[in-house]
Amino acid sequence: MLLDLSEEHKEHLAFLPRVDGAGKLNVSSDTVQHGVEGLTYLLTESSKLMISELDFQDSVFVLGFSEELNKLLLQLYLDNRKEIRTILNELAPDLPTYHSLEWRLDVQLASRSLRQQIKPAVTFKLHLNHNGDHSTKVLQTDPATLLHLVQQLEQALEEMKTNHCRRVVRNIK
Amino acid sequence: MARALPPPPPPPPRAACARPQQLSARRVSRGARVEGHGALTMELSESVQRGFQTLADPGSFDSNAFALLLRAAFQSLLDAQADEAVLDHPDLKHIDPVVLKYCHAAAATYILEAGKHRADKSTLSTFLEDCKFDRERIELFCTEYQNNKNSLESLLESIGRSLPHITDVSWRLEYQIKTNQLHKMYRPAYLVTLNVENTDSQSYPEISFSCNMEQLQDLVGKLKDASKSLERATQL
Repeated sequence: MLLDLSEEHKEHLAFLPRVDGAGKLNVSSDTVQHGVEGLTYLLTESSKLMISELDFQDSVFVLGFSEELNKLLLQLYLDNRKEIRTILNELAPDLPTYHSLEWRLDVQLASRSLRQQIKPAVTFKLHLNHNGDHSTKVLQTDPATLLHLVQQLEQALEEMKTNHCRRVVRNIK
Repeated sequence: MARALPPPPPPPPRAACARPQQLSARRVSRGARVEGHGALTMELSESVQRGFQTLADPGSFDSNAFALLLRAAFQSLLDAQADEAVLDHPDLKHIDPVVLKYCHAAAATYILEAGKHRADKSTLSTFLEDCKFDRERIELFCTEYQNNKNSLESLLESIGRSLPHITDVSWRLEYQIKTNQLHKMYRPAYLVTLNVENTDSQSYPEISFSCNMEQLQDLVGKLKDASKSLERATQL
């Protein structure tokens, strides 16, 4: 799959070959900005679509750069692709993600309304991440519900091993 | 135990209320301390004692009326649908409504205190004897108490504040293909929702979060650790 670069993009990127070895730029700040934006767009779009090396090279070819510059751009793409995709992933509509869980065993011995109790409970601190914010929730449950939670979530994990899920994963690529 | 003050006059008729003032009962003056189970003592106010003294008196309450009032007291406390009408029995009509309510409140208050302190039969008997109950009425009271003990203790146990309580969990497994920001994702993801109950606000919020396979394995692993630890602790 080739990248579709508009005329505007090509124009912005045209500035790149003009950057000489010493790094001095004799151009306006606008041009520099456009150049950077163009480069950013090139890399993010390529990463988003996860285009192959060959496709990337072919897409860049239309810009008419030197082979050296083309090689450089390809390397830039391959080196940064994974990280760019990680960052793009965070832009998606999202729910808080699980970070970790702390737990504690408690036994209630008495309360204002009833003495001499033996009431076991498990207290949790659930750590979640959402858009960079870390939040915690303190929750409690009883032994029976705890067993139920374990059972339900183990079933969830088992699902991935079923034939149905395996087939989907194999065939959707 | 010697009383420092003379007994006060009976309190004015209470506003229509089947439920007496329970755990934070207004005390007219310090009444007797009743030795409970072990070192625990129950604090019982003057009005509770006077109520029971009246209940002991066959002139104020004949056997049938006593049994009915006793049953009404337990009903008011334990039956969620109970209301004012619990004292509206034909066999109680002949008794002054003020006295009826007073004694009903005294009985209910004592029942709650006894439940709270897990009073045993001897504690109950001792108190009732001090209030001049005859053997038959003591037996009846103890039997009724025994019959309702479990419900009473359940009720008392459920009163109080606690952390948000997890009641259930739902999960969803999805296979992520693409977003408008990222194509060719091809990975499974879980969405987990915990159903939570808040005891005081009676609200039922949900806590939802997503996780990948590894994270869910971590979560399940930790839950299993907690569960095993609980099992070991309860075997001690």
